[in-house]
This record gives sequence, C-alpha cells and structure tokens, in this order.
Amino acid sequence: MAKPLLELRDLNVAFNTERGQIRPVRDVSYSIYPGQTLAVVGESGCGKSVTALSILRLIPSPPGKVLSGEVQFEGRDLLDLSEREMRGVRGRDIAMIFQEPMTSLNPVYTIGDQIAEAVMLHQKVKQKQAYEIAEQAMRDVGISDPGRRLFEYPHQMSGGMRQRVMIAMALSCKPKLLIADEPTTALDVTIQAQILELLRKIQRDTGMAMLLITHDLGVVAENADVVAVMYASRVVEYAPVEELFDAPLHPYTQGLLKSVPRLGAHSERLVSIPGTVPNPARFPGGCKFHPRCPRTREAAAVAGAETVEVVTAEERFRVLETCAVKEPLLREVSKGHWAACHLAEGFESSPTTRPDLANKRAVVARAVGSMIT
Amino acid sequence: MQRSQEAQVKLLVDVRLDGANQLSQFPSSPTLPAPATPPPLNAGPPLLQVRNLRTWFPIKRGVFQRTVGQIKAVDGVSFDVQAGRTLGLVGESGCGKTTVGRTILRLIPATTGSVTFKGDDFFAHRGEDLRHLRRQMQIIFQDPVSSLNPRMTVGNIVGEPLTVHNIAWGSDRVDRVAALLQRVGLDPSYASRYPHEFSGGQRQRIGIARALALSPDFIVCDEPVSALDVSIQSQILNLLDDLQRERKIAFLFIAHNLAVVEHFSDEVAVMYLGRIVEKASRTELYANPKHPYTVALLSAVPEPDPRPKKTRIVLSGEVPSPSKPPTGCPFHPRCPLTREAAKQANAADTVEITTAGERVRVLRKCVEEVPPLEQKQGEPGHVAACWVTR
Ligand SMILES: Nc1ncnc2c1ncn2[C@@H]1O[C@H](COP(=O)(O)OP(=O)(O)OP(=O)(O)O)[C@@H](O)[C@H]1O
Ligand SMILES: Nc1ncnc2c1ncn2[C@@H]1O[C@H](COP(=O)(O)OP(=O)(O)O)[C@@H](O)[C@H]1O
Ligand code: SF4
Ligand code: SF4
Ligand SMILES: [Mg+2]
Ligand SMILES: [Mg+2]
Repeated sequence: MAKPLLELRDLNVAFNTERGQIRPVRDVSYSIYPGQTLAVVGESGCGKSVTALSILRLIPSPPGKVLSGEVQFEGRDLLDLSEREMRGVRGRDIAMIFQEPMTSLNPVYTIGDQIAEAVMLHQKVKQKQAYEIAEQAMRDVGISDPGRRLFEYPHQMSGGMRQRVMIAMALSCKPKLLIADEPTTALDVTIQAQILELLRKIQRDTGMAMLLITHDLGVVAENADVVAVMYASRVVEYAPVEELFDAPLHPYTQGLLKSVPRLGAHSERLVSIPGTVPNPARFPGGCKFHPRCPRTREAAAVAGAETVEVVTAEERFRVLETCAVKEPLLREVSKGHWAACHLAEGFESSPTTRPDLANKRAVVARAVGSMIT
Repeated sequence: MQRSQEAQVKLLVDVRLDGANQLSQFPSSPTLPAPATPPPLNAGPPLLQVRNLRTWFPIKRGVFQRTVGQIKAVDGVSFDVQAGRTLGLVGESGCGKTTVGRTILRLIPATTGSVTFKGDDFFAHRGEDLRHLRRQMQIIFQDPVSSLNPRMTVGNIVGEPLTVHNIAWGSDRVDRVAALLQRVGLDPSYASRYPHEFSGGQRQRIGIARALALSPDFIVCDEPVSALDVSIQSQILNLLDDLQRERKIAFLFIAHNLAVVEHFSDEVAVMYLGRIVEKASRTELYANPKHPYTVALLSAVPEPDPRPKKTRIVLSGEVPSPSKPPTGCPFHPRCPLTREAAKQANAADTVEITTAGERVRVLRKCVEEVPPLEQKQGEPGHVAACWVTR
C-alpha cells in the first residue's frame, strides 16, 4: 500500500480580528499521494488558501493561529518543526505558486537573480551553477531564449510569462509537492491552457504531487485525481474526480455543478443556488449551507417534519430543525466517497473516518500544438 | 511524442483545408446538437449600428510628451445590435472589448467611425439632446465593488439618475427606487444602507437596479459576472435574462467566458487585437467555428467533465501588444492553420518567421495582407477574417 506524501488531520485555524475571532478553517483533513493531484474547490472565502498556507506555516501570526490539527509530511508533523527546519521544507520539499505572480516576484531584482537565490537557498551550489540551474528551469517551463530572459525584470514580462517564471522558481529545487493556489485564475484561457498543460507534463516527467486550489470546475474536472469540495470553512464532500462529477452527494456540490454554463448546453435557464456566499464573521449555525440548501426546504415541506423558519435578505422559508441546529460532520457515506449532509442516504449509519484516497484519474485531457513560447 | 502531435495538428488542418463538411470531424469543435431554428437576427432595422469604429490611444514619450505611436485598442469594428437582442463580444484580455463598449457610449472619444442609435447619428449630438439619448443607453461594470460610490446610500446610488435627469424626486423617487430594488431581488429596506454592507452579488444587483432606473433600451454589460462566485453568477445571468424579456432591452454582452457568452447571446463576435475576426449567430458560431483563433479559443475552455472528449489546441506565444500589432493577419504568429497551409503551398508563397522562439514557415499572404472580414460557407451572416478558411 502506498503511503500518502502529505496528510492533513483535523486542521483548525483562527484569526483574531477587531470584531472577535473568526475560524475560516475547521476540521479540514485531506491526503495527497506521490504523483497525485488533489483539487480543492470552493467559492471565495471558504478557506482554501488559509488551509494551504497553514501547510507551509505561512499564515500571518498574529492575527492567525493554528488551533489544532496535524500536517504530516513524510513521517513528521510540520507543525512541530522549528522555524529553521521549516525553511528547509519550504521551497525544497514543498513549493508554492500563487494566483498573482507579480505580487510574489520582487520588482527590483532580475528574474535570474530571484530563481538563483531560491536555488542557492536549498542547494549547496555556487552562484554560477545556480544561474545555470535557473536557465535550465526556465527552459523546462517553455520560456524561449532563457539566457537573455534571466536578465529581465518582472514588469517586462506578461502575466503568463511571470506565472511560468514562478513555476520555474518553484520547480528549480524539484519539490515533491507543489501547492498551486489558483495558478491560472488571472490568466486568459489560451494561456491557462498552456500553463495547465505544462503542469501536467511536469507531473508526468517527475512524479511530483500537486495540491491544486481553484474555483473553476472545468479546471478541476480536467486535472484532478481526487477532489475536496469546501464550503464555509469545512470539507463538505470528498471523492475521486469521476465519482464527484457523476454522482455528487452534497446539495452544494450538486448546485455548483448545475449552475455552471457549459459549452454546447443551450438551456433556457441556469439552475442557481439562492442566497449569498457566507462570510466567516457571520457563519450560520447548524449546517452552514442550510440558508441556501434546496434539499432541506424540500424535506421541510413534507407533512410532520420538525421545521424552523429562516429569514434572509431575499426571502422567508422553512428548513428542517436538524439542519438549522446540528452541524453535520464529514462521513464516508459510500465506499471512498465522503459527504457532510444529514440527508445524504445512509449518513446516520456511516463512519466518521478521515477522507483519504490514493485514486488516479482514468482519462487525461489531450492536447495538440506547440508548448514553447 | 512531438511528432504524433504534429500529425494530429496536420490532420486537423487537412480536414479544415478540405472545406466542405469538415467540422463534424474537427476534433476540437464541441459536438453540439443541431439547433431547431436559429433566431431571426435581422428582423427590422437595428437599434444600434456601429461602423468602422477606431479608438486609438497615443503613446507619449519624453519631456514634451511627443506622440511616438498609437495603441490601436479598437481598429475598425462594425456590427449591429437588434432591439431586445444580445450581441456577445468575446476575446482575451486587452483585445479591446471594454474600449468598444465605452467608445459606443462616448465615455471614451472615438478616433474615427460612427454609431447610429435608432437611426440617429449618436456621435453628432451635443448638450441636452445628448443627455436625452444617454438615458436610453446604460452600462453595467465588471467590478461591483469599485463601481459603486462607497459614501452614497444604496437608495441614492439607484435613484441618482432619476434626479440627474429630472425624472423623479421625493416620495416618488423613494417608491421608484423601492420597486427597482425589489425587481433585482433585494429588500427595499436596503435603500438606507451603504455598498460595503453587501456581498459581490448583491452589489452587482445594485448596479443593475441603477442601470434600469432610466428604462434604457440598450445596456453595455461589461463582464457583469466575471468577478462573482460561481453560485452567484447564474443568479445574475438569470436576472439579466428576465429583465431583457420583460423590458425588451438590447445588450452588448462583453465577456471572456465562452460558455457564459454562448448561454446569453443571440449573436457572437470574436475579437482579436482590436478587430472582429469572426461573427455569426450563436448557434452557428459554436457549432461551426471558422477562424482558427475561435477554434483554438473554444478548444481551450476546460470542460466540467472528468472524461474530456475534445482535443485541446495549445496555441504558442501570447497575445501581442496592440501598440505593435503583427503585419498582415494579426493572428499569424500564433496561427496553427497558416503553418499547415504553408507545408502544402509552393515555396514561393511562403516565408519563414520567428515567433515565440521558434522558426516556422507560414503563408506569405498571411504576413503581408490583412484578411477582410467576409462571408464564409455556412449560414448567411457568418463572417470571418482569414485567407485560408472557406
Ligand atoms: N490575515 C487575515 N486576517 C483576518 N482574516 C483573514 C486573514 N487571511 C484570511 N482571512 C479570512 O479567512 C477567510 C478564508 O480565506 P481564504 O483566503 O482561505 O479564502 P479562499 O477560499 O482562498 O478565497 P478566495 O477564493 O477569494 O481566495 C476569508 O474570509 C478571509 O477574509
Ligand atoms: N486610457 C488608455 N490609455 C492607453 N491604453 C489603453 C487605455 N485604455 C485601454 N488601453 C489599452 O487598450 C487595449 C484594450 O483595452 P480594453 O478594451 O480595456 O481590453 P479588454 O476589455 O478586452 O480587456 C489594451 O492594450 C489596453 O492596455
Ligand atoms: S445537512 Fe441539511 S442543510 Fe445541510 S446540506 Fe444537508 S440537507 Fe442541506
Ligand atoms: S489569415 Fe492566415 S494567419 Fe490569419 S487566421 Fe487565417 S490562416 Fe491564420
Ligand atoms: Mg484564495
Ligand atoms: Mg475589460
């Protein structure tokens, strides 16, 4: 049996704000196996980035604090390491790329200086060698004429090119795990296609594992092996990618999948999820999805159901009392498929295990055309 | 590996060059059910006619701010919008979509070209006349956060156009604002609150209520859902859809998301570097794309399906800057079609170019002459700007 490279166990993170403590990450668990891509999908503010930053211990503290949980990486809990040991892990074992590459590149140093510095931080090499490694890393991510580009500054490059530089920098130390936080959200679709194709190629060639954070279900469907759906600080569904798209169990996942317009589907009307995305300072009690959930409204309409009234900015309706009062925790509802919903079939009798799947996807997207830019 | 990919591109291009009936075999075009009856697009005179619109921004340098060049953000764009219908405008960032929308509304001066609104030369109007016409043309912005004045209450934001245009005051205005808020799905009591108290989707609803205040016939929707969460996007799209039906509003719907544009538009124009490179009815454009850029763009959209069926065409290079557009066909440095066509052409009709670090052979004509936007095989009105596609 293969062992997971990274295992997150019941992570809880809080921020102390002027208005009191907020808890944007609650009981989050997931695992990533070598060569695997775990996609974390969810809407803004649901806690995707805070979870990822906590893995690298990069949340600003104060105001941020990991309240509890473990981040097991190759047999040790990263939360127990000293800051010095942690610096050895960052960049060398686990690298990260961000949504807006400009904010993570230093405008006053050349691209070459920045990659070479990252290399020298983790490998015992001389400056000259570091530049050679940097040049090769740039060539590997499809940057043409890397010898000249080494001497350019970030502002001289386009968004797509800067994201390539970030990837080159992240990959220069051959990390075992790449955390990619919305790596293509700021990019155009043809450039997104280039970057995703590049990341897939690197994974094929090196067996690197990837934590892919995104809100785009198309990107998830085409790149993930396993998917964790987050809603309002929690993982609410966890399954292999095919299973998640074929048979979603949580009403939030079902709503998301139905509400994206698809190419070629000429539906008159889009299905939409009512209400608004909740803010962590004002999470609702019980199941955090209950003010938007169609399933509990349907169940509440059945005669004899114990219900309570909900009043939102837009409407007034009844939901099941259980949903409004009791928070459902993630359970393995069917083999290899976790969901957090009281009304998921067989939920009450299912075990509350930590989600963990070593699956790989069956079909890999095909691409034609040139990779070089 | 590389070779087999090339073979696939070739296959795909051969099929293209073959002309007739190629699209069902074209691996990148999504398989679509044939539309029952395409909507009639040219019923009656258009509400809005845009002709040869150019918006150039001067590039200034030095102490004397001498103009050293022009950014041709919009470079010769023409289209019609029918009353109560939607024209979708798609393309990658910087291709000029926003500039088109803003130039039409005269928020940016046009360099040349004309806009005719209800048969009237819109650019010729001044003063009171202009104010009157402007009431009928509104805009909804991408960023619901920065497009609303943070120091004004929601009621004042929505009601301001009513006061500015001398339409309603006092309790009449309050009533109208309440009705508008209700119509966009917000509680009328929100009129006394400030924008920061609302989520992105709710702010976009406020922006829509404001745009509706003057009962316009035409609204430019500039990426109205791009900044919103997925679950909120469909709420806003459905709202815009309902409003269009109810009030017969025409939309110029600007977006970079091709699936959203397909869902929303009657007709679609694809822009590249300041020009329209293809335009057709929605059903025709998505089922039968002609321009290699449109084909690549459609193939690049990630499908929410874990078993993707289409083959993606990964274009090389990036969109060039509109301050130095390529000669001839602006797409030629990235175009897979001209490379394949060059392999089958006489050597004299081809040239070698360096693009994105590669040396490739392309058709001379693509480098030297701008292809006109002309009718292609298919539905009448299906136009594309390409020397090779038929
Ligand atoms: N330094 C901080 N201080 C206070 N709150 C914070 C801080 N960093 C993040 N948060 C809050 O934590 C919540 C989760 O943030 P996070 O960035 O993980 O969301 P996300 O799901 O990645 O969102 P997006 O998709 O918009 O990036 C948000 O509500 C955010 O405002
Ligand atoms: N005021 C301006 N001055 C100079 N260049 C501009 C100005 N406004 C837009 N541009 C340029 O015009 C091009 C088209 O811009 P825009 O219409 O905003 O693109 P889109 O909306 O398609 O993203 C871009 O290259 C942009 O940088
Ligand atoms: S627990 Fe209740 S409110 Fe939550 S998702 Fe399930 S049905 Fe909906
Ligand atoms: S004119 Fe030539 S370069 Fe332009 S799209 Fe057609 S084939 Fe490609
Ligand atoms: Mg984030
Ligand atoms: Mg724009």
